[in-house]
Amino acid sequence: MNNMLVLPLLLPLCTAAILLVLKNQITLQRWISAVSVLINIVITAMIVLQVKDDGIQTLHMGGWLPPYGIVFVADMLAALLVLVTMLVTFFCLLYAFTSIGEERERHYFYPFVQFLLAGVSGSFLTGDLFNLFVCFEVMLISSYALIVLGGTKDQLQESIKYMLINILSSALFVASVAYLYGAVGTLNMAHLSVRIAEAGQGGILNVIAMLFMVVFSLKAGLFLFFWLPGSYRVPPPAVMALFGALLSKVGLYALIRTFTLIFYSDTAATHTWLAAMGGITMVLGAIGALAYQDIRKIINYNVIISVGFIAFGLAVMSKESLDGAVFYLLHDMLAKSLLFILGGIIIGLTGTHRLDEMGGLIKRYPAVSWMLFIAVLAVAGIPPLSGFTGKLLIIEGGFTEQRYWLAAISLASSLIVMYSLIRIFMKACWGEEKGTYIESPTGRRSDWLAALPAACLTIIVIVMGLGSEWVYSFVSVAGETLIDPSIYIEAVLKG
Amino acid sequence: MSLSLLHIAVLVPFLFAVIIPVLGRMLRGIHIGWLVLPAPIALFVYFLTCIGNVQRGELIQESIPWIPSLNVDFTVYLDGLSLLFALLISGIGSLVVLYSIFYLEKDEEALGPFYVYLLLFMGAMLGVVLSDNVIVLYGFWELTSLTSFLLIAFWNKRERSLYGALKSMLITVLGGLAMLAGFVLLYVMTGTFSIRDLIAGAGDIADHALFLPSMLLILLGAFTKSAQFPFHIWLPDAMEAPTPVSAYLHSATMVKAGIYLVARFSPLYAGEELWFWLVAGCGLTTLAYASYRAIKQTDLKGMLAFSTISQLGLIMSLLGLGSAAAFYNGGAESLIYTKATMAAMLHLVNHAVFKGMLFMMVGIVDHETGTRDIRKLGGLMRLMPITFTVALIGTFSMAGLPPFGGFLSKEMFFTAMLNITKLELLNMQTLGVLFPIIAWLASICTFVYCMLLLFRTFTGRGNVSNLHRKPHEAPFGMLASPIMLAALAVVFGLFPNILSYTIIEPAMAAIHPSMLAEGAKFRVSIDFWHGWTMEIYMTIGVIAIGALLYKLQSRTVLLNRPLFTAPSLNGMYNAGLRMMDKGSNRMTRTYMTGSLRHYVIYIFVFLLVAVGMTLSKQSGIIFDFSAFAPMSLYEGIILAGMIAAVIAIPFSQSRMLSILLTGTAGYLVTLFFVIFRAPDLALTQMIVETVSVALFLLCFYHLPKLKKEDAKPRFKAVNLLVALGVGTVMTVVALAASSDRPFEPIANYFIEESYHLAGGKNIVNVILVDFRGFDTMLEIVVLCIASFAIYSLIKLKLPGEETDSSALIKRSLLAQGLWSEPRSNDVILKTVAKPAIFIILLFSIYLFFAGHNNPGGGFIGGLMTSAALVLMAMAFGLDTFARLIPINFRVFTAIGISIAFLTGMGSFLFDVPFLTHTFGHFDLPLLGSIELATATLFDLGVYINVVGITMTIITTIGRDR
Amino acid sequence: MEFYMALAIGVLFTAGVYLILSKSLLRIILGTSLLTHGVHMLLLTMSKLKTGAAPLLGEKADAYIDPVPQALILTSIVISFGVTSLFLVLAYKAYQKLKTDNMEELRGEEHE
Repeated sequence: MNNMLVLPLLLPLCTAAILLVLKNQITLQRWISAVSVLINIVITAMIVLQVKDDGIQTLHMGGWLPPYGIVFVADMLAALLVLVTMLVTFFCLLYAFTSIGEERERHYFYPFVQFLLAGVSGSFLTGDLFNLFVCFEVMLISSYALIVLGGTKDQLQESIKYMLINILSSALFVASVAYLYGAVGTLNMAHLSVRIAEAGQGGILNVIAMLFMVVFSLKAGLFLFFWLPGSYRVPPPAVMALFGALLSKVGLYALIRTFTLIFYSDTAATHTWLAAMGGITMVLGAIGALAYQDIRKIINYNVIISVGFIAFGLAVMSKESLDGAVFYLLHDMLAKSLLFILGGIIIGLTGTHRLDEMGGLIKRYPAVSWMLFIAVLAVAGIPPLSGFTGKLLIIEGGFTEQRYWLAAISLASSLIVMYSLIRIFMKACWGEEKGTYIESPTGRRSDWLAALPAACLTIIVIVMGLGSEWVYSFVSVAGETLIDPSIYIEAVLKG
Repeated sequence: MSLSLLHIAVLVPFLFAVIIPVLGRMLRGIHIGWLVLPAPIALFVYFLTCIGNVQRGELIQESIPWIPSLNVDFTVYLDGLSLLFALLISGIGSLVVLYSIFYLEKDEEALGPFYVYLLLFMGAMLGVVLSDNVIVLYGFWELTSLTSFLLIAFWNKRERSLYGALKSMLITVLGGLAMLAGFVLLYVMTGTFSIRDLIAGAGDIADHALFLPSMLLILLGAFTKSAQFPFHIWLPDAMEAPTPVSAYLHSATMVKAGIYLVARFSPLYAGEELWFWLVAGCGLTTLAYASYRAIKQTDLKGMLAFSTISQLGLIMSLLGLGSAAAFYNGGAESLIYTKATMAAMLHLVNHAVFKGMLFMMVGIVDHETGTRDIRKLGGLMRLMPITFTVALIGTFSMAGLPPFGGFLSKEMFFTAMLNITKLELLNMQTLGVLFPIIAWLASICTFVYCMLLLFRTFTGRGNVSNLHRKPHEAPFGMLASPIMLAALAVVFGLFPNILSYTIIEPAMAAIHPSMLAEGAKFRVSIDFWHGWTMEIYMTIGVIAIGALLYKLQSRTVLLNRPLFTAPSLNGMYNAGLRMMDKGSNRMTRTYMTGSLRHYVIYIFVFLLVAVGMTLSKQSGIIFDFSAFAPMSLYEGIILAGMIAAVIAIPFSQSRMLSILLTGTAGYLVTLFFVIFRAPDLALTQMIVETVSVALFLLCFYHLPKLKKEDAKPRFKAVNLLVALGVGTVMTVVALAASSDRPFEPIANYFIEESYHLAGGKNIVNVILVDFRGFDTMLEIVVLCIASFAIYSLIKLKLPGEETDSSALIKRSLLAQGLWSEPRSNDVILKTVAKPAIFIILLFSIYLFFAGHNNPGGGFIGGLMTSAALVLMAMAFGLDTFARLIPINFRVFTAIGISIAFLTGMGSFLFDVPFLTHTFGHFDLPLLGSIELATATLFDLGVYINVVGITMTIITTIGRDR
Repeated sequence: MEFYMALAIGVLFTAGVYLILSKSLLRIILGTSLLTHGVHMLLLTMSKLKTGAAPLLGEKADAYIDPVPQALILTSIVISFGVTSLFLVLAYKAYQKLKTDNMEELRGEEHE
C-alpha cells in the first residue's frame, strides 16, 4: 500500500477543483497550477526512487485487493513516464503563461490542463483495464476542451474530426474490454495476463488482441495517424506541445503495456503487425515531414515518425530494443515538447507558420536559433544528445533480431528527420530577415520568459544525453519488467 | 579511467570555443584570431612531443567511461596513424588560423561565430582520429559534418552558401548513418565497439554473414566524407565557405577523415577481395575523373576543389593497393605492397602542404583582385612576386615535379601502380595493366591543370585594368602561412627522411599491424634519386604530353568544355531534392484528404483486415451456443422492435424523426436492462436518454432540414460495405467470446462480500461507489470537464474572431422556454409546476439515499433533481429562476467533486488506501432506517456534482443567443 | 438469447457505422450514440444472461447475475453522456460559425 501513487492523479484534480473557482484571478491561477505541478515533479521523482530501491509500488484503491478492486501500479516504466509528463507539463505551462492569452486563461485553460494531466498520469499508473479506459476518457475530454478552446473556425472544424475519431476508438475500447471480460472474466491487467497465459494465447484471444492493437494504435497515431497532423495543428502552440509530447505517447504506453504484459506470448500473431505498422508509419511520416511548408505540420509528422520508431522497438521484443523504446520514449517527450515550444516562439515572432515567409532570426534571436539547432540534432539522434542512446539500442536490437529492413528504415528516417527539421533552422534563422518581428522591439520581458522553458528543456536534453549511463540505470529496470512480465504480476497479485 | 593529457588535447578546442566569445567581448580591441591561435599551436607542440614515444611503440591509450553499460566509452588512443592526422590537424590548423586573421576583416565579418565553429571542428576532428570507441568516433564524425555545414553557410544570406551547406550536410550525414549501421553490425558480431578489440579479433568474424555488409556500410561513410566518386558532388559547392575554411576542412583535414577511416579499418577488412577492388577502384576512378574535370574549371577554387577530389582518390587507391599486402600474410611479397601504403601516408602529408598553400594563394589573389575567374586573371607575376613563388612551388609539387615533396610521393605512387601488376591474385596479370595506365593518364591531367592554375593566373598579358581594384602584394601576415608551407614542401622534397621514420613508419605499422614481427620496422628510408627507372620515364612522359595539352587546352573543346551536361550528377541531386519536396507533397495529399469520412473508412478497413486475417488464421475458435439462455417471445418482439427502429434511422429524412428513432432505440435498450435484471442501468439509461434527446433537440433545432444524402450509389455502397463488415465482425467475435469461457468471472466475490464488507445490498451501486469507486470518481470528473468545456465553448469569443449569429435565426424550443421573460400563457404550467417540482425533488432525495441498497444513488438522484430544476426554469424563466436559486452552478459543481475527492482523501488520515470507506446505520425521519457510509458522503459529492453539471449545461445553452 | 443479442449488436454497429460515414453531422452524431448502445448491449451480453436474480441482495435469491458488467455499463453510460453532450454543443457551435453541417465541406486546408 502506497498512497503516494494516487497523488500524480489526485493533486491535479484537486488543483483543478480550486482553479475552477478562481475563474478570473489569472495570476493566482498561474501560480497555483505551476506550483502544483512542481510539487508533483518532486512526488513523482520520489516514486521513481522508491521503485528503484524497493521494486514495483502498488496501491489498492479502497483497500480492495486485486483482481477485485482497482489497483494503481508504479513499475519503472510508469514511474518514469509520469515524472517526464510532469516535467513537460511544467515547461509547457511556463510557455503558456506568455503565449496562451488572457481570454483562454479566463475560460478554464489551466483547470483543463490539470485535468489532462490527471488523465495522463492515471493512464500510466492504473493496473486495471477498464480504469485505463476511464483515465483515457478524462484525458480525452480535457483534450477536446483544450483543442477547441478559442473556437476559431479551424479549431471547430478539426475538433469535430478529432472528437469523432476518439469517440470511435473509445467505443471500440469498451467493446474490446467487454470481449476480454467475456472470454476470461477479469479486468485486472496482471490477472488478465495470468489467465491468458493459462488459457494459452490463441484463438479468440488473438482476435481480441488485434482489436486492442487497433484501439491503441489509433490513439498513438501508429499507422492510423490520419487524424493527427490536422487536429494537432489548430490549437495554440502551448497546447500543441502538450498534445504532441503527451497524448500520442499515452497510446504508445498502452501498446507497450498490453503487448508486453498481456498479449506477449504469441508474437508471431501480434508483434509482426506492430513491426509492419511501425515501418509504414516511419515511411509515411518521413514523406509527410517533407511535404509541407507549415512548421506545425513538419513537427507533427516528426511526431508520427518517432511513434513508428518506438513501435519498432516494441515489436522487436528484446531486452535491448525495449530498453531502447523506453529511453527513446522519454527523450521524445522532452525533445518534442522543446521543438513545439521553439516552433511556437518562432511562429509568434515571425507572425507566420510558413517557412517561406520567415527568415534571418539568428541575427536578433541567436539564443532561440541555437536552441532550435540543438533541438533538431537531439531529435535526429546525434550523439551525445538525448536522442542517440535510445536510437542506438533499438537499432542494435533490430539488427540482433535480424529485422534488417526496419533498422534500415529507421536510420534512413532519421536522415529525413534531420533534413526536414534543419530546413526549419535554415529558413527561419538564416537568410534575409523576414517576418513581423522586424518591427517589434526585441528583448521584451515576454520574449525572455518565453525562452526560459525552452532553455531549461534544452539543458535537460543535453544532460540526458551526456548522462545516458545514469538515465539508463533507470531505463534498464523498466526494460527488465517489460521483458519478464512475471515481475509485474508478482508485485500486483502477491503484493 | 582518468582524464589524460590526450583527453585534454581533444577537449582544449571545445574549451576555447566556450571562452572565446566571452574573451572576444572583453577585449574588443584585438582580432579574436589572436586569442584562438594559441590552441592549435599548443596542440601541435604537444603532438610533436608524442612522436618519440610512438616511434618507440609506446602507444597511449586512456579511457573515460561514458555509457559503460552499452560499452560506449570515451577512449582515446594514439598510434602512428592517429599521430600523423593529429599533427596535420593541429599544424595546418595553426597556419590557417594565422592566415585567417589577415584574411577576415575584423570589423566586417562575424568573427565570433567563425572561430567558434572552427574550434569546434578542430576538436571534433581530433576526436575522430583519436577515439578508439567507434560510437564516440561516430559522434565526432557527425560533429565535423555539422561544423562544416555551419562554416560553408558562414555567409548565410547567400543562396549558394545555403545550397552548398545543405548538400554537404545531407551527403556526409547520410554516409555517417551508413557508417553507424556498419559499426552496429560489427557490434552485433563481436560485442565490442573498441577498434583495438575489433582488429584483435579480426579473424573470427571474417566469414560472418554480416561481415561484408558492415564493410560496405563503413566504406559508404568513408567515400561520402572523402568526396569519392560519385559522392564528390558536394565538395565543389562547399567552396562557398571562406577560403581559410576551404583550406582547412575541405582540403587538408575533414575530407581526409574518410581516408583515415579506410586506413584505420584496413587491418580488419584488408584481405577481402571486395575491399581491394572497391577502395582501389573507386580511388582510381575518382582520381582520373576529377583530374580531368579540374582542367575545365574556370574558377580557381573550383579547380582546387576538383584537384582535391582527385588527390583524395589517389591516396584512396594507394590504400587499396596497400591492402593487397594482406593477401600474403607477412613475407617479402607483402612488403612490396606495403610500399603503396607508405606512398599514401607520404602523399597525405604532401597534399596537405601544397594544397594548403595553394588555397591560401588563391585566397590572396581573390582578396587582392576581387575575382577568382581564371579568364579575367593574368599577369599577376609582376605585381605579386611572392605569391607567385608560393604558387609555383605549390603547383609544381602537386604536379609531381622535382625537387618538391609531391615529386617523391608521385614516384612512389607510380611504383605502387606498377607493382600491383605483379600480383598473382584476382587475375591482376591481365586487368592490372589498367592501373598504371589510368594512373599515368590522370597524372597528365594533374600536370595540365597545375600549369593552368599557375600560368593563367600569373603570366600572360595581365588584363589587370578591368579588375575593380589595383592588385598588389598581400600583407606579410597573410603571406606568412603559405610561405611556411612552401618551405615545408621544399624541405620534404629534399630531405624526405625527416618524415620517414618519425611519422610515416609508425603510421604504416598501425595500418599493417600483423605484417611485422614484434619490434621490427618497415624499411621506409626514401632516396631522392633511384636511377633511370620506369617511374622516371613515366614522369617525363607526363611532362611532355602535359605541356602539349596545356598549349592545346584553350583551343580543344575536349579540354575546356563539359563533355555533356544532360545527365550530370548534380542534376540528379537537384532533381532528387525537388522530387522529394514536390512528390512527397503530392503523395501525402492523396491520402491526407482532410475528409473525415475517408479517415473513418481507413480505420474501419484496417480493423476489418487486421481482425479478419487473424480470425482466418486462428484455428482454436469455438462457437458453442449450448450455454446460451433461451429467448422468450416478448423479448423477441422488443429485439425486433429495436432492430426495426435502428434500421429505419438511415432512411428517415426528417431531423426530428431520426432523433426520435434513436431515442426509441435507446429506450428499448432500457427495456433490455430491465429484462436482464439490471434495474440501476434501466433507471439511469432512461433519464440519460431523456436528457440526451432534450439536448439533441436543443442543439439541432436550428440546424438545416436533413437533406436527402445526395450521394452517388458508389459512395453509399462503400459505406454499406464497411458498415456491414464491422457489424459482422462484432457479432462473430461476440459469439466466439461468449462461447469459450474457461474461467469463472470475478463476480462472485462481489456478490458474497458486498454486504458485510461494504454494507450495501445493491451490489452494482456498491461496486460503483466502493469496489470500483475510483472509476466513479473519475467518471464524474469527466462529466464536470464536459460541462466546463461546454461553458467555455459557448462563452469564449476571442477578440480577433468575428461574432455572427446570422446562422442562428431561430432559437430552440427549450431555449425559448428558458428565455428570460416567461410567456404569458404558461399560468397553467406554473401552477402545475410547483407541486410537480416538489414531488420530483423529494423522489430524487429518496433515490439518492436508497442508492446503497436498492436501485438509485447519487447519479440518478442528481439527474432527478436537475430535472425538477429544469422544469422550474421552464415554468418561471431563467431570470426568475436565477433569483429564486442564486447559485453559480459551476462553483456548485466544483464543490461537488471536491467533496468526492475529500471523502477519498479522508483515508489518508487513517493511513489506509485512498477511497477506503466505512459505514454505520442511522434512522432518518420519513426515509426510515438507512445506513450512512462514507460511501454515502462520496455519493453526495456525486449528487451535487451532477446537479451542478446538468444545470450548467442547460443554462449555458439556454442563455446562448 | 446471446445469439440474438449478438445479432442485435451487429445491427447496431452496422447502422452506427453507416450513419457515421454519411455527410450530415447530425447523422454522424446519431451514429455514435447507436455505437454506444451497441457497446453497452455487448457488455451486458458478456455477463452470462439470465443466470440469476438482479444483483440486489434484498432479493434473497440463491443466484445473482454478474454485476460487474452492469457497473461498467453504468460508468460508460455516464461518460458517453458527458462526451455526447459536448459533441452536440460542438456541432451546434460549428454550424453557427462554419454555416454547414456537411462534413465533406469541412476538409480544411490540407492543400498547400
